Amino acid sequence: MKVINRTINLITHGLRPAFVAGALACLMAVSATAEDMTNNIVAKPAIDPHADAMLRRMSDYLAQMQYFSVNAEVWQDVQLESGQRVQAGRTIEMQVRRPNQFHAAVHSTRRNRELYYDGKAITLLNRAQNFYGTIPAPASLDEALDLAMERFGIAMPLEDIVVSDPYKSAMGKVISGIDIGPVTVLGVPCEHLAFSLGTVDWQIWIEQGARPVPRKIVITYKDEEDSPEYTAIFSNWDFQNKLSDFVFTFEAPTGAMKIDVTEIKSENQEQKSEGK
Amino acid sequence: MRFINVISIRKSTIILLMFLASITLIYAQHPQQSAREEHAARSAPAPRSAPAQRSTAVVDRANHGTIRHVDTQVIQRPAVAQRVAPQPAAVQHAAPHPVAAEHVAAPAQRRNAIVHRDVDADVGRAQHWHSFVYGARHRDLRAGYIQMYVGGSPYYYDDGIYYQQLGDEYQEVYPPVGAGVAGLPDGAIALQVGDFVYYYAGGAFYVQQDGGFIIVAPPIGAMVPELPPGSVQIAVGGGVAYQFNGICYRPVFMNGVTQYMTFMS
Repeated sequence: MKVINRTINLITHGLRPAFVAGALACLMAVSATAEDMTNNIVAKPAIDPHADAMLRRMSDYLAQMQYFSVNAEVWQDVQLESGQRVQAGRTIEMQVRRPNQFHAAVHSTRRNRELYYDGKAITLLNRAQNFYGTIPAPASLDEALDLAMERFGIAMPLEDIVVSDPYKSAMGKVISGIDIGPVTVLGVPCEHLAFSLGTVDWQIWIEQGARPVPRKIVITYKDEEDSPEYTAIFSNWDFQNKLSDFVFTFEAPTGAMKIDVTEIKSENQEQKSEGK
Repeated sequence: MRFINVISIRKSTIILLMFLASITLIYAQHPQQSAREEHAARSAPAPRSAPAQRSTAVVDRANHGTIRHVDTQVIQRPAVAQRVAPQPAAVQHAAPHPVAAEHVAAPAQRRNAIVHRDVDADVGRAQHWHSFVYGARHRDLRAGYIQMYVGGSPYYYDDGIYYQQLGDEYQEVYPPVGAGVAGLPDGAIALQVGDFVYYYAGGAFYVQQDGGFIIVAPPIGAMVPELPPGSVQIAVGGGVAYQFNGICYRPVFMNGVTQYMTFMS
């Protein structure tokens, strides 16, 4: 009987601290495990490293090219006044000479216009009505693109692949990115990547192999009614032809009339001014 | 005494261990929570219907097709709309009845900025009123025409074109200010001028009123994406402009595309 009593006493008194300590140690271990799991969730990147690397490779490839020309077929969702949604198409022939020359010709059934940037000025030419207008521009291509859009509302065609660092320009506000996988675009094997800015999604199809150029871009504006899309399909990439000055130098066609280019302030511009 | 010491040591040990455990738990949960919030904020797309972003009336993307400037919100700043005295049509009838601003119903509810982007689909499609030729005469009108009186004068209307009877024929005339129609002409283009929304077709500016649409005097400073049919080129101040029914249209590049701003010469 004494033995039984001593055993009970040992369990209830002598081992209690050890028991409590053991339980707490278990709790600590569990919480440490939870912490590890949490760290694992945080550590998992929102941008797939493979997608990120592929985009960076494309960016580096384009950035190092001093000359290039490319054609694109663009399809853009438009809502008619009736409310019906249709797609409007146009083609773009673009030439770039880094660091500060750009030319694009935009053709559609009823429109025919060109944009020139020669390092000093941006000129718009409306060939259909034979109007042109010129605005002074900064000496770098990136600054010229920003000025055109932010002060004059002019979206220089395909500017995302024209900028000096396409990766940095495109990824600034990206919150997630995934590699969808291999797919062909017009028969060209590509890697399909998808990125999101939250309210706007964009996808890019990058050619596989030694020449990682974009073959297709889709931008989806989820924050606009019916989520309209913009699609550009690229062809005829050319990095061999050294483009001459005349490609980027505007000469007014016969009978062309000069008209004003209306400045439109933007919130971005105002915010920049306020921030100064 | 020894018993009390043992109790104190045990209690202290338990309290110390509980304290350590609670710190560990708190530490584990806190970063977990904040990390989840951060993760959610970074990865979860904003709700599809973000009303705050869509309710802005005169702010919209300058254009589509750019990631670099996806958030560039362009504010359209056309000149403040001024109502001008109506220009009488050059036909023999009573002066058109002016529509006083206070008689015009409250302007149509503002909508997102109307940006005519560089695409073919929204403007330029062939409409009936594109065939307008001032003074052109017809022996018959198409089926479905409407007869109306404006300022006491009889008019005939067919999808954006107005006629007056001249002998046995019908003559195309300028759109008379004050004319009211139940529905807009096909292909009428919405314009935002100042605080007002207008609908533009065939050189006429309509506003919504009483369940229909009424022609008002052209607002000065309005930007229209295409010229009225039959407008005539004129030289103004060394530049080029176009005239239609007493109103001049000056071509400018706006948002990178050619538009025409109304003004009085």
